[in-house]
Amino acid sequence: MSVLTTIIMLPLIGALTLLFVPSRHKTVVRMIACSVTFLSMLLAALTFFEFNASDGAGYRNEQITPWVESLGIQYHVGVDGINIALMLMAAVVGYSATLVAKSITTRSKEFHVLLLIMIGGVLGAFASLDLFFFYFFHELALIPTFIMIGFWGRGENRNYITFKVTLYLSLGALIALVGLVMLYVKAGAGSFDIVEITKAVQANPISLADQNMIFPLLLFGFGILVSLWPFHTWAPMGYGAAPTATAMVHAGALKKFGLYGLIRIALPILPDAAAYWAHIIAWLCLGNLLYCGWVAMRQKNLNLVIGNSSVAHMGFVFLGISSLSLIGVTGAITVMVAHGFLAALTFGLTGYLADRGKSLELDQMGGILKSMPAIGSFLVLALMAGCGLPGFANFVGEAMVLFGSWSSFSMITIFGVWAGLVIGAVYMLRALRRALHGPLASNYEGVADASGIGAKAPYLILIVFLTLFGVFPRMLTDKISPAVESSLDLMKSTTSLTVAEKLNTDSADQTSEAPLAAESNSRGNLAESPQLESTQG
Amino acid sequence: MIQFEHYLIVSALLFCIGLLGVLTRKNLLVLYMSLELMLNAANLALVAASRFHDNLNGQIMVFFIITVAAAEVSVGLALIVALFRRRQTTNVQDLSELKL
Amino acid sequence: MNAFLSWSILLAPITAAVLIGLFTKQNSKLSSKLSIGAIGFSFLMTLLLAAVNSGTPEIPVTSSVTWLEVGGLKVELGMIIDPLSMMMLLVVTGVGTAIHIFSLGYMKDDPSLGRYFGFLSLFTFSMLGIVLASNFFQMFIFWELVGVSSYLLIGFWFERKPAAAACQKAFIVNRLGDFGFLIGIILIWSITGSLDFGEISGAFTENPALLGASTAIAGLLIFCGVLGKSAQFPLHVWLPDAMEGPTPVSALIHAATMVAAGVYLLCRTLFLFELPTSWPEDFAWLNGVSSLHIVALIGAITSIMAALIATRQDDIKRILAYSTLSQLGYMVMAVGLGGAAAGMFHLTTHAFFKALLFLGAGSVIYAAHHEQDIWKLGGLRKKMPVTFWTFLIGTLALCGAPPFSGFYSKEEVLLAAYQSNVVLFVLAAITAVLTTFYMFRLVFVAFGGSAKSESADHAHESPSVMTTPLVFLAVLSVVGGWLGIGGYFGHFFDHGAVHHGHHENQTVVMFIGIGAIIFGFFPAFFMYHGAESDPLKKGLGGIGEFLKNRMLIDEAYQWFISRTHEALARLADWIDRWILAGFLVKGIQFTGEFTGRALRLAQTGNTQTYALLFGLGLAVALFVILL
Repeated sequence: MSVLTTIIMLPLIGALTLLFVPSRHKTVVRMIACSVTFLSMLLAALTFFEFNASDGAGYRNEQITPWVESLGIQYHVGVDGINIALMLMAAVVGYSATLVAKSITTRSKEFHVLLLIMIGGVLGAFASLDLFFFYFFHELALIPTFIMIGFWGRGENRNYITFKVTLYLSLGALIALVGLVMLYVKAGAGSFDIVEITKAVQANPISLADQNMIFPLLLFGFGILVSLWPFHTWAPMGYGAAPTATAMVHAGALKKFGLYGLIRIALPILPDAAAYWAHIIAWLCLGNLLYCGWVAMRQKNLNLVIGNSSVAHMGFVFLGISSLSLIGVTGAITVMVAHGFLAALTFGLTGYLADRGKSLELDQMGGILKSMPAIGSFLVLALMAGCGLPGFANFVGEAMVLFGSWSSFSMITIFGVWAGLVIGAVYMLRALRRALHGPLASNYEGVADASGIGAKAPYLILIVFLTLFGVFPRMLTDKISPAVESSLDLMKSTTSLTVAEKLNTDSADQTSEAPLAAESNSRGNLAESPQLESTQG
Repeated sequence: MIQFEHYLIVSALLFCIGLLGVLTRKNLLVLYMSLELMLNAANLALVAASRFHDNLNGQIMVFFIITVAAAEVSVGLALIVALFRRRQTTNVQDLSELKL
Repeated sequence: MNAFLSWSILLAPITAAVLIGLFTKQNSKLSSKLSIGAIGFSFLMTLLLAAVNSGTPEIPVTSSVTWLEVGGLKVELGMIIDPLSMMMLLVVTGVGTAIHIFSLGYMKDDPSLGRYFGFLSLFTFSMLGIVLASNFFQMFIFWELVGVSSYLLIGFWFERKPAAAACQKAFIVNRLGDFGFLIGIILIWSITGSLDFGEISGAFTENPALLGASTAIAGLLIFCGVLGKSAQFPLHVWLPDAMEGPTPVSALIHAATMVAAGVYLLCRTLFLFELPTSWPEDFAWLNGVSSLHIVALIGAITSIMAALIATRQDDIKRILAYSTLSQLGYMVMAVGLGGAAAGMFHLTTHAFFKALLFLGAGSVIYAAHHEQDIWKLGGLRKKMPVTFWTFLIGTLALCGAPPFSGFYSKEEVLLAAYQSNVVLFVLAAITAVLTTFYMFRLVFVAFGGSAKSESADHAHESPSVMTTPLVFLAVLSVVGGWLGIGGYFGHFFDHGAVHHGHHENQTVVMFIGIGAIIFGFFPAFFMYHGAESDPLKKGLGGIGEFLKNRMLIDEAYQWFISRTHEALARLADWIDRWILAGFLVKGIQFTGEFTGRALRLAQTGNTQTYALLFGLGLAVALFVILL
């Protein structure tokens, strides 16, 4: 059995065990939850630091257990440089969130069960190399999210927000599912295994028309999950209403699922469509970078500022992916990892304040740095990391994205630099000044600071990893870049012609197969032939 | 000679009786018995098919169904008892809470 | 040996900062000892390094570790030890040590002294990183770190609203400059494929036209970084506000080191500016103008503008801040006119006397219970003799009176201007007149006459922990010109334009320089000697108000930003709230709800109805499929 299975199963088994613990034993519940996530994090860290990128680009720690052979579904886990980094991030965020979950008082056992299922699901989704399990684990993590926001969430219009988040995310997942099933059918490998599909596609690429049909489904499906502009409005609100631990795991880890899916599946299997759609992604990411940055500038609530900034940061990831270059994509993954730690940190800290019944409206805040030095300093660090300060992993990732995307999209890169350096600084410092500086707000008199190592631990762990990878980025990039390189090589070898050439030949061969006509064409196929349809009409 | 068709006809009749029972009776217990009738109609068809096609799969399936039905009956009866305790009725027309 | 020394210079302050941040923040004594110990150690190591390399100053010593390597992007953390960085190291660690010690007295009663020294050490680390950086990326990293440590120090008293506003402004204005800087770096990297100063300048030596049409643009983009850090027009607005920080911080960051980083960067990347200029087609009308011309022009504008504003300021620190701006403009102008050696020379001496002036101001403020308005001081000459005399030395050095250090460096700057551009030379000379005027205005009003407020009346000399650094810096301000620093830089920039052969020019410039002092001094003497209120207030009328309000540049920014970004932010927020979240989402919600309400009619709640419908549906389906 692979160590990855252990990492995934630990939280899930923990959840199962909790079901048999009477809910009045709150300490036992806490102990079990914390110890399984801690072990899971420990194993993930060991696997990460043992991972030796110089051994080649293939998958490590693989485990293949057939499940439904007739459909080609098998439990297949394995890691390369890309997902081991994400797994480490998810495991650390999971542990930190479990520590923070201490503040849940009503129905704490049920909350912990759901939280552990969520963490197990996230870890599973990142480890899976089989489309079925990849999706299954994501849903496993997603459904508890809705319940947790609905039941333990805060704020008055919690119900509305729960509906909104559920609808958005279910819709996104559904669209992605359609794309994945289509991919499974069109690849013709008779297997859900990503490795098998990749091989099959290399021998026999999916036709351009099909690629151009599947890719947008994946892009927008995953895009909704990642709050790609203009499908982002669920995110800031949702994180504002979610209980602290849920927001941490979702914003930190689960949200990266869609991006991971794009990098792992869409790029190597649908290379032509990826090249074709890269421009659209690049333009959309401006929506995240600039538009959401501006929106963040106008927010009056700390959580909404952070929520919008988190959406804005996703723009860097999309920009990196759209560059289709080694530096850009490696940078995108670095941003994903860094943002995971950062988002968990910021939502954990604002949650600390909100859980004490305090308003996060900026005009009712002030002077927290003086009265709560520990939480205040952590928040300063987090906001500084958020505006791209060197020394934190975000800076490395964002810089790599900008360097990588320059040759493909210079103009957009300039806007990206503007968004990252100037707009980011404006809204982060504005929030910092309102919330932390100045005289102490009456609302915050007598709020206790986090004292003792136990209360600070969840934030410290995240800060340690954020700075560790910020100061020694090679710990991360040396593992990621070989995997990205091999993935981009796959992409190049799968596409024999450049996109432009392919477009030309296709339109010359059969005019109806041009990519933009793909949709109408497919409808034609369903009705056997266009003539038939017209005669019926 | 009794043919396969005869079995099927009996099975279909049983099924229809059960269906009519489900659709028309008001008492939950009777409704439940009708459901069982439908289930057994299907069992009969499966056993007959298995016998006439020389394939044991159908009989195995029936075993499964009987086992599952047993479990189902226990759960269902428990629900009916619980419902009666709460509402003092087993009339389906009084149970329309699903309506918004 | 060299590598070890330079790494230990760099790493000592950050070790102190980390230790203070993690463990000793609550313990003021231990924290201050750690911080002062660290910079003292760095200073000693720098002296040692200088001694070791004294024989062979021209050979750059480099050492590096690979920090990041992905594809074509290779970033190293390297060390450059050449005369340029050597002198900067000495300035940063030497002046830094004096200021650290001064802080011990000035900040004595502050409850967060531990945090203060932690930030100081963090700043020292970042500044040393800039000085030692061997490539653009490393430079940018430390550039940002300097920005943030300056932010932390300006906002040290963050519970005061003006300080909170000032630090935010400083950071964001610096970020505006960094925006261009980073794009410039990416542009250069994308063409040359390297980030290393040595490699890039080597590539330019082989092929001066390597950057093609973007040569001038690349230079100007890098210059954007200088605009921010060295507070050049139009990004100078943060520096006067930054005076909200503790005074030793103003001395360290906003006089001696951080603001000098821009000039240092300019000299470090001079190879980029010396390339034959070419513009892209859209900018063809600029042909013939080199990027250095623009640099010099910006420097001159900054220097005269800041000097004009300084004449109408009343806050002792703000006068010094505008004076710093003005002198930075001098340095940038000198580099732009090809006198990089003169610029660096002036940077060095300026670090001495401006740090001295700021510390002197700090001593005054400390003694007068945080009274900073010069019209509420006065009569301090007798009460604070050490402070007064050292301040006077600083003033004379700043005005460029012989034989103080400022005389030598300023003369070289003026000479560089005289030799290349008469208009700029005239501007520089007027600036020199104004400099003497506002500095002696400050001295006469604050130190001369009688005490104009109670706090000034009760002032007495600061303790020796504060006066010792003053004396140390005063000595440097006197002798700084004789140490041959100018020649040292002149040798380094051997293609630079300091030619000591032109004796005629030199004599002319020297007389003009001394004349400027006289022209500045006497008006100040007649107007302000024993004055109780500012005669210029009525004399200048509208212009005076204009200058007092800092030429309304802040207001212009405010107006511009509220018209652009604020408006865009409002618009985006509105769209988000009402179109995306409101109209679209609500619309979808409404459609769903309406459909739901319609379908609700079909729900009787009776299970049997459902079963009947189900049965009928099944029957229909079977009928269609089977028949």
